[in-house]
Amino acid sequence: MTPSSNPFRDATRFERRVRPCALVIFGANGDLTKRKLIPALYRLAYEHRLPPGFAVVGNSRTEMTHEQFRDKMREAVLEFTEETPFEEKIWNDLATGLYYDSGDLKDAGCYTRIKARLQEIEHSRQTGGNILFYLSTQPSHYRAVIHGLGVANLAKPGNGAWRRIVVEKPFGHDLASARELDDAIPRVFNEEQVYRIDHYLGKETVQNILAFRFGNSIFEPLWNRNYISSVQITAAESIGVEGRGAYYQEAGALRDMIQNHLLQIMATVAMEPPAAFEAQTVRDERAKLLRSIRPFTHDEVRLNAVAGQYGPCRVGGQALAGFREESGVNPEAQTDTYAAVTFTVDNWRWAGVPFYIRSGKRMTKRVTDIAIRFHSAPHSPFQTGNHDSASWAGPNLLVLRVQPEEGITLRFLSKLPGSGMKLRPVEMDFKYGSSFGMRSPAAYETLLVDALTGDATLYTRRDMVEASWEAVHPIMEVWQNTKKEFPNYEAGSWGPKASDEMLGRRGHSWRVP
Amino acid sequence: MGTTAISPSRILKDLDALWLSLGEEQQHEPPVSGAPGASPVLRACAMTLIAVVDTDDVTVGETLAMLVRSHPSRLIVLTVTSGDAPSLQAGVTAQCWMPFGKRQQICCEQISMSASRVSLQEIPPVIRGLIVPDLPVACWLRGRNLIQTPELDGVIGLADKLIVDSGGVADLSAQIGYISTHEAGARRVCDLAWTRLTRWREAIAQLFDDAVGAERARRLERIRIEYQGAHVPMSAYYLAAWLRHSLARSLKVEIVRVGDFERARVCSVHLAEQATDVSITVTTDRDVQLHAGARDAHTVFPRLSEYELLREELSVLGPDSVYESVIAAVPALLAESEAAPS
Repeated sequence: MTPSSNPFRDATRFERRVRPCALVIFGANGDLTKRKLIPALYRLAYEHRLPPGFAVVGNSRTEMTHEQFRDKMREAVLEFTEETPFEEKIWNDLATGLYYDSGDLKDAGCYTRIKARLQEIEHSRQTGGNILFYLSTQPSHYRAVIHGLGVANLAKPGNGAWRRIVVEKPFGHDLASARELDDAIPRVFNEEQVYRIDHYLGKETVQNILAFRFGNSIFEPLWNRNYISSVQITAAESIGVEGRGAYYQEAGALRDMIQNHLLQIMATVAMEPPAAFEAQTVRDERAKLLRSIRPFTHDEVRLNAVAGQYGPCRVGGQALAGFREESGVNPEAQTDTYAAVTFTVDNWRWAGVPFYIRSGKRMTKRVTDIAIRFHSAPHSPFQTGNHDSASWAGPNLLVLRVQPEEGITLRFLSKLPGSGMKLRPVEMDFKYGSSFGMRSPAAYETLLVDALTGDATLYTRRDMVEASWEAVHPIMEVWQNTKKEFPNYEAGSWGPKASDEMLGRRGHSWRVP
Repeated sequence: MGTTAISPSRILKDLDALWLSLGEEQQHEPPVSGAPGASPVLRACAMTLIAVVDTDDVTVGETLAMLVRSHPSRLIVLTVTSGDAPSLQAGVTAQCWMPFGKRQQICCEQISMSASRVSLQEIPPVIRGLIVPDLPVACWLRGRNLIQTPELDGVIGLADKLIVDSGGVADLSAQIGYISTHEAGARRVCDLAWTRLTRWREAIAQLFDDAVGAERARRLERIRIEYQGAHVPMSAYYLAAWLRHSLARSLKVEIVRVGDFERARVCSVHLAEQATDVSITVTTDRDVQLHAGARDAHTVFPRLSEYELLREELSVLGPDSVYESVIAAVPALLAESEAAPS
């Protein structure tokens, strides 16, 4: 029985609910499980969105009993759940469905044990044979887990049941490894069973970009090269690598942020309208946009991509280490802790419009936003002497703020009260939090429910992942073969000077978010 | 309280002055961070909300202050005063709040009016001039003594959505008649007694999500609803009507009193078929025991304030086909109850 055929469903009022099923988390002793997955599940239980027989099977190498796993997860809920009170009874109900089986992911016996556990759970908790596997391990284990699940015949469901798998990012560390992973998955799972997670797509404000663009009729006519001069996407963090130096020096900002999160945001901003808000159609449009990103030649990379790395600095009386002084980092590391790229899109809508994307660590403040810069008015009648207040104030700007202070701001010009025609910019401001005054679900709540209910709209797909790797591949090639003069920006700044120069060549400048 | 001529244009002028003074107050504060032109006070408005209250209503202000954060509105609070002498008064204030960690105030405007019953007929033209154009209008009839007040029909007639609360109402036939009468044209009526049932209904639905539940739903034969209190609560009939409507069958319904409670309420729902039964029982004030066949589970029905109920209702501004079907089915259930031997 599907939820839609449940005679008691009320789509107007009820939240989407999950059918009876089990969730298997590989890497259950890791940070993601503690910080995000289990708190998200508790929140869903608190909102009565999980079915009574819901079960979680955790797996990692660490030996633990079910009880120890439950205690550990309880601590995680207490520590990492925000805006939701801890209710002992709700936790106890959820905890009775938590199981743990340790095992080496390369050992076939590990999957046999998990299979036996799932069969027992199917019988005792009536999960109907429905299983979501969640790969939260180190990416190097992904292929082993997929292979193990295949050998144990866990990927193919019985009658009327479903099996799905969530793959955490990164999907490979370059185009070739992404393709290797993508080639390994279909040997065990069909593409419809695979949910590649990019948690940025689960953020309410990123979803709201779709509502903003396609739920209103006034913006879409302006959403093209005739009215928009450039788009800036910024994802800045004020913190450094925070103990993740060893991991981060192998990743860098281009791989860690731009290749996945920010290109997905760019695709959401620039895609064509989908025919329906359904997984296939929305993802088709995103994929088309990603495939339309103009590939760089190596010479073009030098003009359109800037790498940066933060050096030591004192901020507010506090000495901050440079990236190369961080624990676990090679003192001569060539890692980009900042990356900025000018992408262009080869289609009629966006031809000639630069998409400036930047992401960095230890920047002035934590902010993620998208700024749509419109063309200036073709003629300003407000010039007095040498002063043209209209051109001084800049063109119209639409800012979609992803975090913090999620919302939308439109900047336009208004006459300053008083005599004379002096203009000044004012803002029309929509604040997501204050306009709805209610808690927004965390990205992982949204995405878990989506995967558990079979909605892949907010998940990426093989062609999308490969297209985004293709977009950054030439940049990675050039950067790997270039010795960069690092460090080249101070902690607490907005990045290296070369980044400003990159925009300056097109007559633009970075806005200060 | 005397009679004052109140006109929409005068009130709108007062609102302008209010916004000016709010802006001036904030000019003395340090500048708001952000781009040039950022205003220190943000006016938020997504609808007009008319709250009609009794003269002794002292808690409505708190509810409305919370509500405008979820549903920013131009609030029009109409207090119906006691006494026979004509009286009309109006004034404007702002409901402002500063989001945590922010330096920009968000404000909604509030127009307070009072009118005696005999003056109520003069109010609709005033409110008509104060409605925010192009946005929905909701009317919340909060006063317990205001239902069945024909003088308010003119005010209700301005609303796209009328909100009433049948919790505590003993004369259910009259109440259903009132709701049906006012559900006219494009206007929707909603009842907070129905809103309170959302958690009950979700819990019931959840028990029928799997294949076993689906089969069980097909075999259900009887509905037994238990309540506590001095009279049958409207929610008992709503639940029964909803269950029948959902199953598209006229199942046998029993509504049984099982104890006292200060305000009549449903405390248990049993859905039975031959082999097993399904029940949802409030064991204490909030704790709920779910039972379906061999499986038991606990859940908690959060204690919902009036603000939370209104927040849910104002999120449903379009048609609510399930509730409309329920409203249509309740009179038959009431007739069955009256015909049944006591």
